Amino acid sequence: MSDTRAQAAYHDSEAALRLVDKELDQLRETPAAAQRLIMVSLADLPQILERANSQIREVLTHLRETRQAIQSTTLDKIQTTHDKLKEVTSATEDAATNIMDACDRANQIVDELDAVDAAEVPDRQRATDLRATLRDELFMMMGALQFQDITSQQLTHASSMLIDMESRLADISKLFDSSISPDRPLASMRGAPDEKTYDPNATIRNAEQRQHLVDEIFTTVKAGAA
Amino acid sequence: MKFLVVDDSATMRRIVINSLQRIGYNDTVEAGDGQEALAKFDASIGFVITDWNMPNMTGTEFTKVLRARADGRQIPVLMVTARSVKEDILTAMEAGVNNYIVKPFTPQVLKEKIDALLPAAAA
Repeated sequence: MSDTRAQAAYHDSEAALRLVDKELDQLRETPAAAQRLIMVSLADLPQILERANSQIREVLTHLRETRQAIQSTTLDKIQTTHDKLKEVTSATEDAATNIMDACDRANQIVDELDAVDAAEVPDRQRATDLRATLRDELFMMMGALQFQDITSQQLTHASSMLIDMESRLADISKLFDSSISPDRPLASMRGAPDEKTYDPNATIRNAEQRQHLVDEIFTTVKAGAA
Repeated sequence: MKFLVVDDSATMRRIVINSLQRIGYNDTVEAGDGQEALAKFDASIGFVITDWNMPNMTGTEFTKVLRARADGRQIPVLMVTARSVKEDILTAMEAGVNNYIVKPFTPQVLKEKIDALLPAAAA
């Protein structure tokens, strides 16, 4: 039930109370016997409705608390998951672009090698240099594939956050109706990814700066230990 | 010099092994996690390159076990990982890692770190 709907229910119950008051006033004007009979059965109604009103107030308070809990536990996670998936898209695109650029350069080198071969007197040194450059380009392509390991860790982290959110939302839905059971097994029942297998902060960005930080720490700690 | 390359990503193992071949080290053995690495570790291994995040036994756990063994006390261990916050680096050092490379890395950085550690291996 949304907060707005609960507010509407609360206002409806107040309106119902006013209607009951009005009806009771009218009953007071009916013949005495009928009035007595009706008054006996209706005597408890205002109290019942008062209790209902009070319960609705409690429900509203719980709903506000629940909404705050949902906001604090899931919205941040949704944002982080979104950021992770965005970074995966960006890392994949960067790697694809780097590999395509390297392919273009490799093709150009092959053309140059063809030209060297076609010359009347092939320049062996030039061919050797071109082959070395070609190997560099091929190796660069392989290095660009490191994105796979890092994006895999980012996706595992995103998956673990979705599983956590699913589990929390299932708990919240049980608060409203414990008889509800999902029509398929929850992903959380199959177990979250092993935390040992990924780094939640894994990123492809700023590798050089991060390596610099590592080198600084190693130098400082080793100097301190010496 | 035989290198033991430990990483749960087959792609990363291939990249590290290719990088090693490129800088002149062709003798390698690979493992998918710390447990497998311990099983494959023997006197023929002269250098260990390990990832951190792996199932069953992480790179830091593996390094600690290795350091507790008589034959693993002096072996150079180079960690290659995506983790790069200060606490992680200090944890790796405490576990016994000799140096540390952040992923994604270049073969130049790998060569520098290996070269810096090899005199220690020879000593």
